Amino acid sequence: MRALFRNPLGLIGLFVTLFVLAAMIAGPWISPYSPTEADYMALLSPPSWGHPFGTDSFGRDVLTRILYGARVSFSVATTGICAAAFIGAVAGLVSAYFGGWWSAIIMRISDLLFSFPSFVLALFLMVLLGFGLANIATAIALIYIPIFTRLTRNMALLVKDEPWVQAAELLGQSTTSILGREILPNIAAPIFVQMALGLAFGIVIEAGLSFLGLGVQPPDPSLGTIMADGREYFQRSPWVLTLSGAAISIALLGLNLLSDGIRDVMDPKLRARL
Amino acid sequence: MAFAGGMIRRLTNRLGGVFVLALLGSAAVFFAMRMGAGDPAIAALGDFATPEAIAVFRTKWGLDQAVILQYWKWLLNALQGDFGASMTVAANVPIAKLIASRLPNTMFIGLYALTIAVLISLSAGTLSVLRHGKFADTVATSFAVLGISMPDFWLSYVLIYIFALGLGIFPSYGFVTPAESFSAALYSGLLPALAVAAPMAAAFTRILRTALLETLHREHVRVARSFGFREAFIFIHYVMRNALIPYVTVVGLQIRYILGGTVVVERIFGVPGIGALMVDAAFARDYPVVQACALTFPIGVLSVNFIVDLICAALNPRETT
Repeated sequence: MRALFRNPLGLIGLFVTLFVLAAMIAGPWISPYSPTEADYMALLSPPSWGHPFGTDSFGRDVLTRILYGARVSFSVATTGICAAAFIGAVAGLVSAYFGGWWSAIIMRISDLLFSFPSFVLALFLMVLLGFGLANIATAIALIYIPIFTRLTRNMALLVKDEPWVQAAELLGQSTTSILGREILPNIAAPIFVQMALGLAFGIVIEAGLSFLGLGVQPPDPSLGTIMADGREYFQRSPWVLTLSGAAISIALLGLNLLSDGIRDVMDPKLRARL
Repeated sequence: MAFAGGMIRRLTNRLGGVFVLALLGSAAVFFAMRMGAGDPAIAALGDFATPEAIAVFRTKWGLDQAVILQYWKWLLNALQGDFGASMTVAANVPIAKLIASRLPNTMFIGLYALTIAVLISLSAGTLSVLRHGKFADTVATSFAVLGISMPDFWLSYVLIYIFALGLGIFPSYGFVTPAESFSAALYSGLLPALAVAAPMAAAFTRILRTALLETLHREHVRVARSFGFREAFIFIHYVMRNALIPYVTVVGLQIRYILGGTVVVERIFGVPGIGALMVDAAFARDYPVVQACALTFPIGVLSVNFIVDLICAALNPRETT
């Protein structure tokens, strides 16, 4: 953690991420507007002091909607990624530690999921499961399970024959304890990096699906539905789409820089060279 | 000789794996589709269709038979290149024909984007390493981080705003297929290709830069330097060649994102590709079309992975022995 403070880009990423989180949590309380209530006196007004990001075709304050929408998008992405990390880590550990048939089955399923382009898989799953919040989270989880499985497996294979693991085996520790207490903590860092990256990508997936109308359904705000709204009157009032997209980019930038920073800090060899 | 033998064995293994995976994938897609929400009969006939009409529709498309039987029939036909006909999106048009007319457009945009991304990343990555720590490096790395943080569908609109609505030099919507006119396709496909390419270019630049920096300090480069070779020669023959292996691997992995990215971008720019077809079919619950599209993508991905393996083997003499 302290090393992260000496990595300027990672530090910027941390601050941007914290700023986005703070705005998302506090914003709806600070904002005087409602995210869903129409104001017909202020339809499609351009950005001004009263409405820093302008208003949409219902006169709703775009910034307020973005802050509410970001909550939805973040929680969907977080749920999906956490579920994927958990399942993927368990599957990867089991596959690496036991090998054999289990490993073969797990890795083939993961290959199968991995052979679909992520967005195509998400789209396909939305058709299967129906549109809606919980299903977006499921789709994000299914996309990321093979990624976490592979990562965990590869990292676990590296450490599973280390002396401390053998010592734990000789001491007669239970398998769960060996996997959870000896192996997992030693490979946790890359999993966290992947989670930060996955969170960024989960937000893009949610936004993309909702943008196409396959995700969160209006009038609920999510980053994707706000952009989809903005698309309809893009020529007349481009600020709705442009600024909501910019908000997504800032959140992604923060997460990407942060995960870069954590990775560099974790890999001192690479850091010395770069 | 050992080279050819090992290579052929590896290739056949890989091809067998691809085939098994495609079979499993098709079964998974098929059964999942039948278990999923929504009903194509209602999507095609409307919410107020009579039960009789629905029954007729279901019999016509074989939806009343056992799912396993439906799959078996579908598989037998699919192996002969017959994927059935579209139920709702383009009623009764053979899917093979539908895909054959759409796939070239997606491939065109994908390859176009890939070319742009590779050209940008090769020059930006090399430049940032040659000017390591200087201004050009900072600019290149900043743009690379920005690039991976912009969702392609947002970038599409930014491009439309600047180049179509603002400067008016590119069309904001509509695509001339390469079959009609190649030059017009290059022109009308530039904005969608750029939107797909930008995040890729950024990701590629980052990986190439890291790989080049890592190789620069390896032993063999120092040895080459001690022989007194010229720096340019060392860079091309010893540094670049080694750094290209992780680069090509990552480029290959990113094909998934390129293919995935085209889905939304095709929709925005009105490119009649597989992605747009799949979205339309998804809305219309057109089972066989979604199925065929969903399978086209992984087959594309697996074929690309295969090609990437070949390129990596060619670049890396150790792999072939």
